[in-house]
Amino acid sequence: MQREISMLKVNNLTKRYKQVLAANNVSFEVCPGEIAVLLGPNGAGKSTTIKSIAGLLRFDGTITIGGKDNKSVEAKRIFGYVPETPALYETLTVWEHIEFIARAYNLENWGETARALLVRFEMDDKKDKLGKELSKGMQQKVSLICALMIKPAMIMFDEPMIGLDPKAIKELKDIFLELKNSGCAVLISTHIIDSIEGFWDKVLIMNKGEIAAVLTRDELMARGESLEDIFFSVTGREETSQ
Amino acid sequence: MKALVYLVIKTLKNLVRGIFRKPSALIGFIVVFAFVSLLIWTNHVNPANIKGASSELFTGIVMTYFLFLYTMSLNSGLEKGSTYFRMADVNLVFTAPIKPGNILMYAFIRQTGGILTMLYFTLCLTPVLRENFALQPYGIWMIFASVTAFSLSYPLINMLLYSWVSKDNKRKKVGKYVLYVLWGSTLAIFLLDLARTRNIGASLGNVFDNPIAKYFPVIGWTGSIASAAVYGITTEVYVGTAGMVLLILGIPMTLFRLNLDFYEDVLEGTEYLEAVVKAKRTGNTMAFYAKNKGRSGNSISGKGARAILTKQFLEYKRTSFFFLFDVTTVIIIISSIVYRLISSNRNMSPDGTMFSILCFAIYMLFISQGYGRLNIEMEKPFIYLIPASASKKLFYATMPEHIKNLFDGMLLFALAGILFKAGLLTVLACIMAYVVLGSVFVYTSILARRIFGSIQSRFLLLIVKLIFYVIFLSPGIFAAAFAGAFTGNWFLGVLMMGGWSLIFALIFFAFSSGILNNIEARE
Repeated sequence: MQREISMLKVNNLTKRYKQVLAANNVSFEVCPGEIAVLLGPNGAGKSTTIKSIAGLLRFDGTITIGGKDNKSVEAKRIFGYVPETPALYETLTVWEHIEFIARAYNLENWGETARALLVRFEMDDKKDKLGKELSKGMQQKVSLICALMIKPAMIMFDEPMIGLDPKAIKELKDIFLELKNSGCAVLISTHIIDSIEGFWDKVLIMNKGEIAAVLTRDELMARGESLEDIFFSVTGREETSQ
Repeated sequence: MKALVYLVIKTLKNLVRGIFRKPSALIGFIVVFAFVSLLIWTNHVNPANIKGASSELFTGIVMTYFLFLYTMSLNSGLEKGSTYFRMADVNLVFTAPIKPGNILMYAFIRQTGGILTMLYFTLCLTPVLRENFALQPYGIWMIFASVTAFSLSYPLINMLLYSWVSKDNKRKKVGKYVLYVLWGSTLAIFLLDLARTRNIGASLGNVFDNPIAKYFPVIGWTGSIASAAVYGITTEVYVGTAGMVLLILGIPMTLFRLNLDFYEDVLEGTEYLEAVVKAKRTGNTMAFYAKNKGRSGNSISGKGARAILTKQFLEYKRTSFFFLFDVTTVIIIISSIVYRLISSNRNMSPDGTMFSILCFAIYMLFISQGYGRLNIEMEKPFIYLIPASASKKLFYATMPEHIKNLFDGMLLFALAGILFKAGLLTVLACIMAYVVLGSVFVYTSILARRIFGSIQSRFLLLIVKLIFYVIFLSPGIFAAAFAGAFTGNWFLGVLMMGGWSLIFALIFFAFSSGILNNIEARE
């Protein structure tokens, strides 16, 4: 099989917070049209990895997005980021958030895309609501819309399902597949194994700041085990979880 | 940059629209606007009636003030960094293809909001300053300039400092030691001078009104700009202004030119700020700063509604320095004593002095109180579920506040009584009046919440409470002041004030107890 050029390349990412080694020599790649999942228990280093890729943290190692350094303006143009906890401008409406993103990313003819996303996430009737007037779930939807607005070549979701209603979760899962089909590299961080069943291509199981196992869907099928079994055997937390 | 300009303009527009949409907010802003206009007009029209406090004392006070502000912000900056940003900026602006230099420019523009707030509080102090010090015609503007310099510089200094200490834990310890040495040596010099002069005001002037203090980087520079209000434009002012301008322009340019990666340095500070804002909105600041001081000796006793009382004492233990001695105690005692020291009327009788300290301490209590601890209780379901009557639960849930006020009042008035040679009865009357007025504040807040619902803005809450006091309390206070001044018997005045307030504390308690009947009553 011909190897694709990676959209996201993380090479020996190491991040230390004072005495805590949050990410230790983490290396992985995500190709265009691939959905990779960072799976791990709480405190495994998933969010640190995602935040490092998003350019919010200093780290040792290298991260490139589309061949460019992840902190460069060029890289930022092509990746989207949906944070774990949504945070919106309290005095900006939903539509103004979208308009700000359109301006910040120099988007053209973005109105139709914005309206379609608002309808899809059932936010079209709330486009004139201020950030502070929205529930947490609605704020999460606005974060998603902002990230999707830029039509990213690579997108990261940090625990994206938390706080969303069932309809929005279904829409989001459809969007994951649409992004994959359009050639976007997708990286999802989660600790809920059930939430990613059915659409992942590659799972990176993190534990104690390290990538403990990497599995493709074909490899999982060949092993004849469930993802949950492998997860617990790698992280050794079955007793705790039960 | 266009996107950031859009962000700033839209935020401002929506802020103004928001005010016009909410009548309560509009009333609040009209009151503030009228108040500010009145202050400016009074400053402009009225000649200052100077009572002759010395320029050295002025410099001493402003230097102490900036020493406190800078070192406290540096202390917190060493731990958490500092920030001009909110989490929305982190998530949406930091990840957007915008140059970090432009983001810093945007941060500066945002900071002007913070400057306006500080200028507002400074403006509120101008009548006291004009009354007591011989200010230059442009004096107020120099004070404003120093406050602006402080507001702009401290987040930058913290940002730079944090980027240095965050790389190595030993650096943080070095930074803390430097602060301790600065505090310790300043206090030692002050106490040595105080032992010689036996006069707090004179010692403040001696310690801070000298070239070493005035040329001391940042703190001295800022203080020098403020001291131009009394001394006029001197060499120290030129040096201070040049120093602060270089600092305020230099740090961003350094961050920009060196292309330093400051996002992580502000991230922790931003997350912390976000948590502080959330805690403040829910009136939960005390719990936010609580520390786990271990389990030994801590227990909750009492049954039924009484358990609320002992639980709150346990919480006090975890937020105070010792027993009920906390930051509020320090602020109220120091500010009340300093107020008296710089106060214009120095020929008052001891009882009159105690009455004026009582009025100032009550004013401080008024501006420092939000909804009180009951607000924290009402955010959780437990208080509604406890099988006791609403009035009993309200009584026990608010009792710790009265005991805290009693504790603060005893410390303050005992100290003031010794310093100003007041009689024991006057001291006791002041303590009683302080506690009773404190209880009026507590129950007014609850009653205001019961009538108007949860008011998120602390400022609006103050306005609402102020309206209550003007209607119900002011007749008693004015009558007490009149009786004291007319008869010369200030003890009688204090007693009248306490008695009048007690009546309203009981009435407000009776009307507000229903708030604990069910969870809907709190909305």
